[in-house]
Amino acid sequence: MDATNGNGGASKYITLVSKDGFEFVVLREATLCSDYIRGMLRNNMTEARTGRCELQDINGVILEKVVEYFHYWYKYRDREDVPDMEIPVENCLELVVAADYLGMDKQV
Amino acid sequence: MSRQQNNRAGRQIRGPQSALTDFLASHNISANQIRLDADARRRAAEQENGASSSSNQQQVAEDEVGESSTVTTSVTVTTRTSRRKKDQKVIDKIKASKTYQKRKRNAGEDDADDDLLDTLLRERAPLPGQMDNCANCGKRFTVTAYSRNHPDGGLLCSPCGKEMDKDAPPKKKPAKRAATGPVGRRRQIQSKILDGTFQLGAKSLMTLCIETLAKNIDLAEDLGDLPQPVIDKIARKLSKHRLLNPTTLSLFLQPTADEVCIYDGAKLSADDYIRIFQTVPGLKRLKARNAIHFKDEVMDFLVSRKTELEDLYLHGSNLIAEEKWLEFLEKKGKSLQSLRVYWTDKHFGDSALAALPSSCPSLVRLKACHNQKITGEGINHLAQLHHLKHLSIDLRNHVHSDVYVNVLSSIGPNLETFSITREIELDNTVLDAIHNHCRSLQKLRITDSDVMTDEGFARLFTNWENKCLLFVDLQKCRQVDSANPRQNPDNIGLCDRGFKALMAHSGRKIQHLNVHGCRHISAKAFEEVFPSDGKKVYPELKNLEISFCEEVTDFIVGSIFKCCPNLHELNVFGCMKVKSVRVPKGKILVGVPNALGMVIEGVDDDEE
Repeated sequence: MDATNGNGGASKYITLVSKDGFEFVVLREATLCSDYIRGMLRNNMTEARTGRCELQDINGVILEKVVEYFHYWYKYRDREDVPDMEIPVENCLELVVAADYLGMDKQV
Repeated sequence: MSRQQNNRAGRQIRGPQSALTDFLASHNISANQIRLDADARRRAAEQENGASSSSNQQQVAEDEVGESSTVTTSVTVTTRTSRRKKDQKVIDKIKASKTYQKRKRNAGEDDADDDLLDTLLRERAPLPGQMDNCANCGKRFTVTAYSRNHPDGGLLCSPCGKEMDKDAPPKKKPAKRAATGPVGRRRQIQSKILDGTFQLGAKSLMTLCIETLAKNIDLAEDLGDLPQPVIDKIARKLSKHRLLNPTTLSLFLQPTADEVCIYDGAKLSADDYIRIFQTVPGLKRLKARNAIHFKDEVMDFLVSRKTELEDLYLHGSNLIAEEKWLEFLEKKGKSLQSLRVYWTDKHFGDSALAALPSSCPSLVRLKACHNQKITGEGINHLAQLHHLKHLSIDLRNHVHSDVYVNVLSSIGPNLETFSITREIELDNTVLDAIHNHCRSLQKLRITDSDVMTDEGFARLFTNWENKCLLFVDLQKCRQVDSANPRQNPDNIGLCDRGFKALMAHSGRKIQHLNVHGCRHISAKAFEEVFPSDGKKVYPELKNLEISFCEEVTDFIVGSIFKCCPNLHELNVFGCMKVKSVRVPKGKILVGVPNALGMVIEGVDDDEE
């Protein structure tokens, strides 16, 4: 199923695929906090056309947490007083590696 | 006592009655009667069991007399516990009964009734000072106010009580964080604004992860293959929470690393510093703050190893003796490119600086901050360091301006950073020397000069062949004269002409400007430098500090925001004329002198 709608513009959602095949559907705008994904979704890249990003180095559990972060970030993006998102301790180190890989260490 | 109460009942004196007494009376139960019955029961029990022992006829009070033989003791104990349980059942039944509840509700009594019921219907526990049998081990002991209660009723002797406490540690109330609640959260936001870490929206994923990691660092055994910038962030976070100790230090000592940054070495001992050199043989850059235990023995170890340090940053290492510094510079100075020494007060002095030209020929960066021993004599030797690019001095001794003029005339052309902090009598000759000799300067800092004049600054920045400065810090260059608090007849410090010349020279590229305390810069000068129609633009300016420049007004602040599109933070502490200015989104205004603080444009007060 092609992710583009009839007008030829990009759809509102994209799919992120983990190393072990888990797929997550996310709002395109919510992923803009990741430099890496933003780069993949630039105009002429394959991923921009299909709306599907394959992340070879991140496994399903971690990608799920990342997607949860995307939605949390999107929800609170203009607010002043933001409650912190819970990060489970056991995934913490791998999540740091994933965050570094995806370029999610700057404020947007 | 019971006799007295009997008398009272006989005299028919009735005080206010509680709901419980009322209830019991309606069931034809008299509280007094219950007490007498309990006493009688106890006495009967004693008489039964007291046959084998001698002095068990104590009638004085409510106390259980123990027996010497264990059999009878256990019988007594079981009788007591079973009776206790039976009584408890009766009490519970009465409490549960609907009429009692109703009466209680109507009378509006509190738990005093429950306690009364308990005390009346139950066997009374022995008073402190009397003997009892431990409910756990059965030994006799003296009851005190601190005797613990056994869960099944009864009292525990002190060893059993301690054991029980050990098994079930007292519930610790979680420490109430100061940052909870609406007031705490507002304070946190204001604190973040002052720190410069405030942003709208959520924290980055990296920050959240590192915070979790820092909180649970004792669970981590190994940081794995994280890239260097991430490890650095983790190190900073740990140091901030004072979690860096010998155990957590091991997480940061990776054998393949060439850089070790210890942001808080307060908990580390000399052996730990030695361990750093042992574990990381290829160490090139070492940064240690609060490195108090970096002592002579550590220096000895370092000198004896093959470690070729290129960058040494030591803060607070004032236990290193002067000879050790000289030895280090002599033996390890060849490869040293950067030496930064902070707060070493008494041992890093002129002799060390004198040794620099000969032992550290490739020295590019030198910083001596908060040092009491260096004097002009030492600084003079710096004129021979021809490769020096970054020079930063913050001394507690007075150094005459001629010394600096000498140094500048010798190495001025190469200098990229020139920073002299808190040199009160630094005068215009230094400014002229900078003007004449420095050609590649990027960072200039001269603070707290009481003698430099506006004319000197104007001369410096007008027709100066240096390219644009990126970082300028001229804080507190102002007149300090109590005889003349308002007037500044000699134009001491940075004033209008100097300020205008500075911005005309470096405005295109300047990134960071600090004119804190230069209070004689007039509003007119500000308006000329930052015109309200936005004709002049300073695209690179990110940090601007104009605190205590008293002529700054709301209008000027607004114009500044217009002229500096990439401004991140503006500091206006002490600018009392700034009353209410709307701050565009994404920018931070620090130091607004009212309780409301910074008000962001477009944010309604009704919105959360």
